Amino acid sequence: MQSDVVLSSCCYFPASLSDLGTTVLSIVLAATWVNSVKYTLIKRAMSMTLVEKILAKKAGKEVVRPDELVEVSVDRAMIHDALGAHTIAKFRALGVGRVWDPAKIVVVLDHYVPNKDIDTAKKCLNIKKFVLEQGIENYYEVGKGGIAHQVLVEKGHVLPGTTLVGVDSHTTTSGVVGAFATGIGVDEMAVVFKTGRLWERVPGTIRVNVEGKLLPPIMSKDLMLFILKRLGISGALFKSLQFTGSAIRQMSFESRMVLTNMAIESGATNGIIEPDQKVADFLRARTNHSFELMQSDQDAEYVETLEFHTDDIKEPMVAVPPKPSNAVRVTEVEGTRIDQAFIGTCTNGRLEDLRIAARILKGRKVDKFTKVIVIPASQEVLKAALEEGLIATFVEAGAAVGPPTCGPCMEAHMGILGPGEVCISTANRNFQGRVGDVTAKIYLASPATVAASALKGKISDPREFFRET
Amino acid sequence: MELKGRVWKFGKDVDTDELFAGRFIMGGDETSQSRYQEFIARSGLSDVGHRENVPRDFLTRVEEGDIIVAEENFGIGSSRQQAAETLKFKGVQAVVADSIHRIFFRNFWNLGCPAIDLPGISAEFETGQEVVISLGQGTIKNLNTGKEFEFRLIIPAWFIDMIEAGGLIPYYKSLKS
Repeated sequence: MQSDVVLSSCCYFPASLSDLGTTVLSIVLAATWVNSVKYTLIKRAMSMTLVEKILAKKAGKEVVRPDELVEVSVDRAMIHDALGAHTIAKFRALGVGRVWDPAKIVVVLDHYVPNKDIDTAKKCLNIKKFVLEQGIENYYEVGKGGIAHQVLVEKGHVLPGTTLVGVDSHTTTSGVVGAFATGIGVDEMAVVFKTGRLWERVPGTIRVNVEGKLLPPIMSKDLMLFILKRLGISGALFKSLQFTGSAIRQMSFESRMVLTNMAIESGATNGIIEPDQKVADFLRARTNHSFELMQSDQDAEYVETLEFHTDDIKEPMVAVPPKPSNAVRVTEVEGTRIDQAFIGTCTNGRLEDLRIAARILKGRKVDKFTKVIVIPASQEVLKAALEEGLIATFVEAGAAVGPPTCGPCMEAHMGILGPGEVCISTANRNFQGRVGDVTAKIYLASPATVAASALKGKISDPREFFRET
Repeated sequence: MELKGRVWKFGKDVDTDELFAGRFIMGGDETSQSRYQEFIARSGLSDVGHRENVPRDFLTRVEEGDIIVAEENFGIGSSRQQAAETLKFKGVQAVVADSIHRIFFRNFWNLGCPAIDLPGISAEFETGQEVVISLGQGTIKNLNTGKEFEFRLIIPAWFIDMIEAGGLIPYYKSLKS
């Protein structure tokens, strides 16, 4: 450990002095000094970032360090329809009868619902059979939940200071409550289902500190694209992103979810935000379980700190294909013709996203030749949007409104792109061929930018609509 | 443990949508290993002709025991295990890359296939060369140039046993018995 190296070098201190009396005195002084240094170093050696504290606690260790390998207990394990049947097949291949704890498993059908064909219906049937057989209570059929990452948070399934794994890379979203949340494959999930345990390489924490305040129509999506531009798609590989600063504290809970959701786009193991009163208020309405608002230690060591200020984001941002880190200012791509505009997903399908889109679309008509699709992230979001009249606004504007599902975020279901088509989307990924034909192109932007673009049939700056009002 | 094979050189940013497109995720009968394996092998890298980061003749000429050496950001994206499975079922026994994304890295090892990240390694290999990987010694050797490189992986010690068992599921079953 680092402290050992520093302390052993301290032992040479008295040897440099010649006079015996001075040497004795200096040994005493040095001993005191060494003790105080030792105390400071031990204290420092015990200091950890939030993610390190969670992993240490769940591994039953006093302290963990970046890149250390640990085995942690899993508090929540999520499967969805896209990989759920595969997980179950692997679980059965293990030859074991029961899952380790049915109360800790959450099953959400979200990618291919309402089922689009016989294959998807069959896989969902297999999942339902497993849920019934294993006595899994936390099961969300189409019409009951929505997109898994939204449902996990909304239903209070993920608590601060806990661990969550899911068979989905965007499982990182739940880090918004101050949990360690990450994605794994189906073989590992099968073993988690049996053992409730996971090995992990402790990610060193990159602190992303954002000062200032975001002013509409600049949204947290614009901020995250701005951050990803600097980090790149592997900038946080095997690391954790912890978002801090006044801009994050002021931001709504929903806006924060965009940051943890897209943490994976920098290669991060997880994204996390220290839980505050906003998180506590959100969760108290949704769970009876008690929780602790665990924070990073004051003197915790970060592998890197990246400083941002919201003043530096001069314009809404757009990620041009084929990488989420390819962010440019909206005026650099303004006027690019689009065929489809999509508002939804686990990144930006929440109420505040629909509100800002509706504010822009209200009393206007979307472009005649542009397919505009709005898909709320969950039943709860859909219901609130209905009550606020947002859904009526979308329908009057000429948008197709879909039931809560992942939709055309990936090449799953509804809104798949044909050859050469261009889509502007509120999703999190724009890899080549992700939403259909390999020659289609996907631009990523905020709900405000997508709504503005929907009206004109080309990529547009939402600030125009904010100057009017 | 040594792995020897013929190199396929891949470019950078090979993502999981490219390795296994979303439209195939719900296909394949996962309750039958042989049918599933055939479907996954057939469906991967479906748009390869449109990509610059995968050799165009990879699908038609890949053979059992081949090894991919790729540039940075290999396996970016989704947790879909099919992205790793399709390479294994096409015959690829190992992936070496300048950097490998976390979920793909874990998935490929879990299938019993080593994924090794070593910055700069891709510049040392060309398609068609012969490579030998020693997991025990932590070395990668290009048999054509004679150059040898050391790597250090941050993986659990039991991963080597897992590779010998053929993957996570068989390894876990062997622990039980």
